[in-house]
Amino acid sequence: MAFDKLELNEIEVWDGNHAAAQALRQAQVDVVSAYPITPSTAVVEGYAKFKADNLVEGEVVMVESEHAAMSGCIGAAAAGGRVATATASQGLALMAETLYQASGMRLPIVLNLVNRALAAPLNVNCDHSDMYMVRDSGWIQFDAFNAQEAYDLNLIAFKVGEDHDVRLPVVVNQDGFLTSHTAQGLHPLSDDDAYNFVGEYKPMNDMLDFEHPVSHGIQTEEDWHFEHKARQHADTMNIVPAKIDEAFAEFERISGRKYNHIEKYDMDDAEVCVVCMGTSVETAREVAKEMREKGIKAGVIGIRVFRPFPFADISEALKDLKAVAVLDRSAPGGAAGALFNEIAGSLINTDTKVLLSGYIYGLGGRDLTKKHLVDLYTELQANADAGKLLTQQQQFIGVRGPKLAFL
Amino acid sequence: MSKQQGWDEFEIGAMLRSFDGKIDECPAFTPQRDRNYSQNSSHVASVADWRLIKPVYNKDYCIDCQFCWVYCPDVSIISRDKKMIGIDMDHCKGCGVCVEVCPTNPKSLLMFPEQADEETEIASWPTKDEKEE
Amino acid sequence: MLEIRWHSRAGQGAVTGAKGLADVISTTGKHVQAFAFYGSAKRGAAMTAYNRVDDKPVLNHEKYMEPDYVFVIDPALVYTSDVTVNGKDNTKYIITTHLPKDELIKAQPKLEGKEVYTVDCITIANETIGRPIPNTPMLGAFMKISEMYDIEFFKESMKRILKKLPQKIVDANMIAIQRAYDEVK
Repeated sequence: MAFDKLELNEIEVWDGNHAAAQALRQAQVDVVSAYPITPSTAVVEGYAKFKADNLVEGEVVMVESEHAAMSGCIGAAAAGGRVATATASQGLALMAETLYQASGMRLPIVLNLVNRALAAPLNVNCDHSDMYMVRDSGWIQFDAFNAQEAYDLNLIAFKVGEDHDVRLPVVVNQDGFLTSHTAQGLHPLSDDDAYNFVGEYKPMNDMLDFEHPVSHGIQTEEDWHFEHKARQHADTMNIVPAKIDEAFAEFERISGRKYNHIEKYDMDDAEVCVVCMGTSVETAREVAKEMREKGIKAGVIGIRVFRPFPFADISEALKDLKAVAVLDRSAPGGAAGALFNEIAGSLINTDTKVLLSGYIYGLGGRDLTKKHLVDLYTELQANADAGKLLTQQQQFIGVRGPKLAFL
Repeated sequence: MSKQQGWDEFEIGAMLRSFDGKIDECPAFTPQRDRNYSQNSSHVASVADWRLIKPVYNKDYCIDCQFCWVYCPDVSIISRDKKMIGIDMDHCKGCGVCVEVCPTNPKSLLMFPEQADEETEIASWPTKDEKEE
Repeated sequence: MLEIRWHSRAGQGAVTGAKGLADVISTTGKHVQAFAFYGSAKRGAAMTAYNRVDDKPVLNHEKYMEPDYVFVIDPALVYTSDVTVNGKDNTKYIITTHLPKDELIKAQPKLEGKEVYTVDCITIANETIGRPIPNTPMLGAFMKISEMYDIEFFKESMKRILKKLPQKIVDANMIAIQRAYDEVK
C-alpha cells in the first residue's frame, strides 16, 4: 500500500501539536493507539488526518481510556511495530500503570506528553506535574522548549528508543498551550531526510516473528524482578546517554540544530543562573540577556534530557557559580521541588560553594512574566553579593496572597 | 532461566523464548516430544511431585467429547485428532478438574491415590449410576 | 517587536486569524508567534489570542503583553471585556462595531484619547462569507491601518492559507478582506 509524500516549505508555521503530528507522519509510525485529552488531542488527530489523507501507512486505534491507549501501544510494540501516542495530565495518570509495563518490557514507544496540571481543581493549562509524576517510570524523557524542538525531539526519540542496545520508551514533553497551541515558524526536514534519519524500524523479539516464538509480559517474583530492574537502570545510565549523544550529533549533521543533555545559555562566565524546563527556558534566556546589560552575569540552563538525568553535566556547569535558582513548575507536595532535589543531588559531594534556591512557579498555567524573572535574577545577585542565601530555600513566584517561603 | 544468572546475563525485556533456535514450521504440527523447548518453557518443568491424587483414564467409557482437554489448566490431557490418548503425568498436578467435567456415566476419569495401581482400579471401575425414580 | 492582542469569542476565528497572520508574516522572513488563551471555554465565551512579530527569534513565552495593536472582532466585547488592559500610549485599537467612532467612544469611555479605528467586520462577514466570522476582515482592516503589506500581496498570501476551503468561500474571504481594508476608519 503506497502513501503520498508531502512537500513542505522551508519554513512552516506550526504549533507544537502539529509539529509532533508531522514528525509521527514522517517517521511512518505503524500504530497510534490513543484517547483524546486537552491539550494533546491534536497530535493524534493530526496523525489520523494524515492517515485519512493517505499520507501515512498505519493504524489509528481509538480506545476507551488512556490505560487502554498505552496498553494498545504495548501490544503493537510487542508485536513489532513503530508505535506512538499522546496524552496529558489525568490521561497520563490513568496511563501510569502501563508506562511501567512498557519500560519494563523494553518496548520503544514514543509518548508525546503535552504538559498540563493535574486536578483538583480541574485545569487544562500547563505545568509539569504530569512530567514529574512518571519521572521514575523508566522512560527516557526529553523536554522541548518550543514547537521546533517538539518536532525534532520526536524524530530523535524514535532513533534513540528503538536502538537495539536501548529498547526503551521515550516521553517527549512540551508545554501545554504555551508550546502545543503556539504557532511559530519552524524548519522541518523533508519527508525523505526525516525518514532516513529515523530509519526503518528494526523489530526485536517481536511476537509476529513466528520463527522465534516469545512470551512477553512474564511474571517474576523475588527470584528475578530485581535483576530485571537493575538491568534496566544500568542500561539507562551506562548506554542511553551515549546513544542520545550519537542521535543528537547525527541530527545536527542533517539539520544544523544542535541538542545537548543540558542547554547552556551564556554560561561561560555566568555568576548567577536559572535552571528550568519548557518554554520558561526561552523566556529566561531573553531576560538573562537583558540582565547582562544591567551588569549581572546571568545565565540559563534548560534541562533537555530529564531522564536519564544529566548529573555530571549539571555538576560541571553549576559548581563554579555563585547563586543558582531552580524552577519547579509543579506543586511540591511537602518537599523541595523535584528538579531542585535533582540539582542538589548533582552538586552534593563536590566542593562547590554555589548557593542553591528553589522556586515553585507557573502552576495551572500561571504566567511566568519577564518581570518575575528580572526580580529573580536580582535576588540571585543579592545572594551572590552577600555570599549566603538571603531568603528561605523554597519560595513561590506569582501566587496571590501573603508571601510563601519554606525550608 | 538459571537462578544463578546476574542482571547482565539475560536478554532484555520481560520476555522469554518458548523454543531454542528457529522454528521451521508451526509447532502445533510437530509432536510435543520433537519440539525443541527452551529451558524457559514450562514444558521442561515437571509438576508431577505436586500431585497427591492422580487421574486414571478408562477408555471403555470415553466418548472423546474433549471436555477434559478443554478444561485442564495445565494442558496435560493428550489428545490427537480429537481422540483422547491419555494424560501427561509430568504436567498433571492432580487438580481433578478433568474428572469434574467428564460427562459420561460412569465417568471415564476418576481420581485415585498417587500410589494406586492403574490396572487394578480400571478392573474394579464403578458401574453405571442409576437415577433414582 | 510588534505585539497584537485579539479579543474574540471562541468560535469566531481569532486563533485561525492569528495563526494565518503569523503564517503570512513568516513568509517575509520575520519571526512569528501566535497563541491564545481559552482554557476549557465553550463556543461564545470571551477569549484572547496573540501575535508577536520580530526580526529575531521570538523567545518570550510570557502571556503578559503590552500590545501595539488590539483587535476586537466581536462588537459586544468592547463593553464586557477591558480591551485597553496593559495598553500603551500609542496602542492602536481596531474595533468591530456598527457604530460611528464617536458614538462608540461615548458608549465606552475607556477608549477616550486612544487611537481607535472602527470597521463592521460582522456585517462584512455576513454579507460576503454568509456567516459572522469576522477574522479575515479584521486582517484586511489591519493591513490598511498598519500598512504592513500591499493588500494584493496579503490577499494572495491568504488564498494560500485558505486553500483547503471551497473556492467560493476563499473568494468571499477575499472580498471581505478588501471591503474591510476599504471601509475601516
